[in-house]
Amino acid sequence: MDMQRTGFSRFALSAYFWGVIAFLAFPIFVIIPISFSNSQFLRFPPQDLGIRWYETYFNDAVWVSATILSFKVALLASLVATIVGTMAVISLDRGAARTRQMLTYLITAPIIIPHIFIALGVFILAIRFGFADSEIALAGAHATIAMPFVVLIVGAAMRQMDPTIERAARVLGAGPVRAFFSATFPSLLPAIVAAGVFAFFVSFDELIIAQFMLSGKETLPMRIWADLKLEVSPTVAAVSSLLIVVTTIAMVGAELLRRRAAGVRGD
Amino acid sequence: MLAFIRRTWLLWPAIGLLLVFFLVPSLDLIQASVMNPDFTLEHFERIADRKVYLAVFWRTLQVSLIVAFLAALVGYPIAYFINLQPRKTQFLLIFLIFIPLWMSVLIRSYAWMIVLGRDGIINTALLGLGLTEEPVRLLFTSGAVYFAMLQILLPVQIVTAYSAMTEIDMDLMRAARVLGARPWQALRRVFIPLSLDGTITGAIIVFMLSMGFFITPALVGGRQDMMLANLIEFQVERLNWSFASALAILLLLGTVLTVIVIRRLGNLITRRIA
Amino acid sequence: MTRRRHIFSAVLTGAVLGLATLGTAVADEIAVSGSGGVVAEVNEKYFFPAFTEDTGWTIKQVGAEAKRMAEIEAMVRAGNTVWDVSEISASDYPLAVKKGLLEPIDYALVDPDNKLPEMARKEFGVVAASYSTVLVQRLDKNPDGKKMESWADFWDVETFPGPRSLRGRPEYNLEFALLAEGVAKEDLYKILSTKEGVERAFAKLDEIKEHIPVWWTSGAQSVQLLSDGEVFYSTTYNGRVGKLQESGIPAEIIWNGGALHVSHVSIVKGSKHIEKAHDYIRIRTTRPDLELEYLKVLPYPNFAPGLFDQLDEAQAKQMPTYPANAEMQFSANEEFWADNIDWINERWNEWLLE
Repeated sequence: MDMQRTGFSRFALSAYFWGVIAFLAFPIFVIIPISFSNSQFLRFPPQDLGIRWYETYFNDAVWVSATILSFKVALLASLVATIVGTMAVISLDRGAARTRQMLTYLITAPIIIPHIFIALGVFILAIRFGFADSEIALAGAHATIAMPFVVLIVGAAMRQMDPTIERAARVLGAGPVRAFFSATFPSLLPAIVAAGVFAFFVSFDELIIAQFMLSGKETLPMRIWADLKLEVSPTVAAVSSLLIVVTTIAMVGAELLRRRAAGVRGD
Repeated sequence: MLAFIRRTWLLWPAIGLLLVFFLVPSLDLIQASVMNPDFTLEHFERIADRKVYLAVFWRTLQVSLIVAFLAALVGYPIAYFINLQPRKTQFLLIFLIFIPLWMSVLIRSYAWMIVLGRDGIINTALLGLGLTEEPVRLLFTSGAVYFAMLQILLPVQIVTAYSAMTEIDMDLMRAARVLGARPWQALRRVFIPLSLDGTITGAIIVFMLSMGFFITPALVGGRQDMMLANLIEFQVERLNWSFASALAILLLLGTVLTVIVIRRLGNLITRRIA
Repeated sequence: MTRRRHIFSAVLTGAVLGLATLGTAVADEIAVSGSGGVVAEVNEKYFFPAFTEDTGWTIKQVGAEAKRMAEIEAMVRAGNTVWDVSEISASDYPLAVKKGLLEPIDYALVDPDNKLPEMARKEFGVVAASYSTVLVQRLDKNPDGKKMESWADFWDVETFPGPRSLRGRPEYNLEFALLAEGVAKEDLYKILSTKEGVERAFAKLDEIKEHIPVWWTSGAQSVQLLSDGEVFYSTTYNGRVGKLQESGIPAEIIWNGGALHVSHVSIVKGSKHIEKAHDYIRIRTTRPDLELEYLKVLPYPNFAPGLFDQLDEAQAKQMPTYPANAEMQFSANEEFWADNIDWINERWNEWLLE
């Protein structure tokens, strides 16, 4: 009886899970079809099927280099944000509760201030001191707006963590750094990875700061925005579809490789 | 001094980033909000005088709270489900949750048009089934705003709640069962109180992000779904920096105060159930 | 104090970044901030090579647009102008002039033979494009045998039922409302110059308010709404309507009562290449041969001498400044809006919330 009920609630839970996934993913089923239309405008259901917008994308050096630039900046920004943010969480965790709260609010403020103010301030500094048009400066600014998410996400995980593990490691003679890497870090890894991925997207989607910081070069949101005055070009649908398909293939491929490797090792 | 540095060095890179890319740039902002050109509170007086600013502020707050609450509610079981899976599967599922983020927000609003529009999928179905004579107004409503924002923000809520859950010691649950608690009791008394903190953090992130939204509400909402960020945007376009700054400070203070309240309330609830 | 703060932050910035790339312009290059997308492509294909051929200099195109005015103001304030030429839209021009963000144009360099008409020659910018905010109708959604012809028709929800859209801003919508009430074009801004006149326009807008499910925020959105049939009638910029028709959507412009605007190319205050910037502006605004190529992409003509003589009749009729079209429209008074937008927009937002 108990078994059956558990079985049912498991089933209900997984049905619910896939329902929500469908809600999250439904735009994909609109976007991929419309990306294979030759129409000038977004049309659903698509008429006049073709790959015109993929051709536009690949034949236009600006679109391709914008995608690459966005990836570069987002990777760097997310790396910096994740490392710096995680370090801050560890440091805050050791401090007094009151200081921790104050500092957490300070660190999370960049989420709330509209990006235009950050963009303007950084831009003025940049042109005054000649680091305008620098991708690294842009990545730094993006890291600053992404770091709050890392601090919040990793911080939430840290609070649930059992401090005895690290203490045990210390007692057993590990230095603080070793204790962290052998005890705390592996346990925090899911949170750190999740925060890092989210930080990536914060940078990848950011428009305003990028527009101020870069002149001459364009990121993907800048390129998308450039068309907006005239129309939402189906190229945007093609880019979104490409990104989804390519990353999914990469992810599934990595998983298959991992399974095969695991199979060879026999675990 | 050396001890201080040793105790705090992990924090310095974060402070450094904030100084260069946030604090120093926003000093101008705070200064501008009370200057014209001498010290004045006229910008804040204008906010209080004209009803539009506070009306839109309350509306923004309301939308953000609704979206944050919905996200917490919808996201919690999802995070729980992911946490039940083996570690390796967990990463795959998280990846799945993140997939929608590859889609430009603009084009996602378009997808809502396809579903909710006059000639959209739902209306076509309703008309086809004879349930309605005229297309029903689904798009350009506040409901559409909540759904669209939830669709965009749910992933970060789920991931935050999940990250915190992974740290919960499942042995505690087992211990509770061994001591005679029924599964539901163990869940309610042990797991839920421990996992609530992460869910609240997730809701807070969603709330803060919602407070700054304006593109999506403008595209799928009705004329009253105005957000404070829309008004700030307008002042920036007009180069009215002082007034834009004053509005941004209203946004900042309103958000921080609400976050503090949510936190307090969350702690209270957690203690109640535990 | 401010200075010290900035020096302090510079040191910090340098330390954190580890390296500061040099952002100064390359010699023999000017930076031009224009529109992105297809417009940028046309610029790069036609106007830029002509400039290089003429002067031996090259052009770096800056695509920034969303916050162009803020960016220009920041450069001028920082005392380091990194753009030389910028597009300045119709509505931005009065503000840019008022804030002192532009260099005066030397017409001896741009138009030595005095061929540009007076309306193209402004003190701080030369007209590079003209465009219209016009009403567009979906012919297939009209009742049988009926066709919208004026703003009065737009307001007539009995004869022309169906969802409509207007831009979510007061600019030009107030004019359209007054036109619908039968006010003559010449009197529009005289009436709007009083508070009562503005209220009169709002009262007229009250009539149509409930028939407008969506107030558009970008040109792209208005075109998309028409294309999807989400609304049957909407204002939009004239530029993309032709493409809408090509893609099989029976959309038609109603030139009657449209708002005609001009946008400019200007020199940013503090530009370090003022003479070369003038050269670019000359090529951008006075060469009909290049402009013809631009018009193939976007029907936003400038006043290059002899331009219309080289257009074929069918194409000319698509242009907002084609005499028959221009006659039916009114010239948007951007100065009026620059002076009054702050308070009218507050009123507008309150009206939307009601």
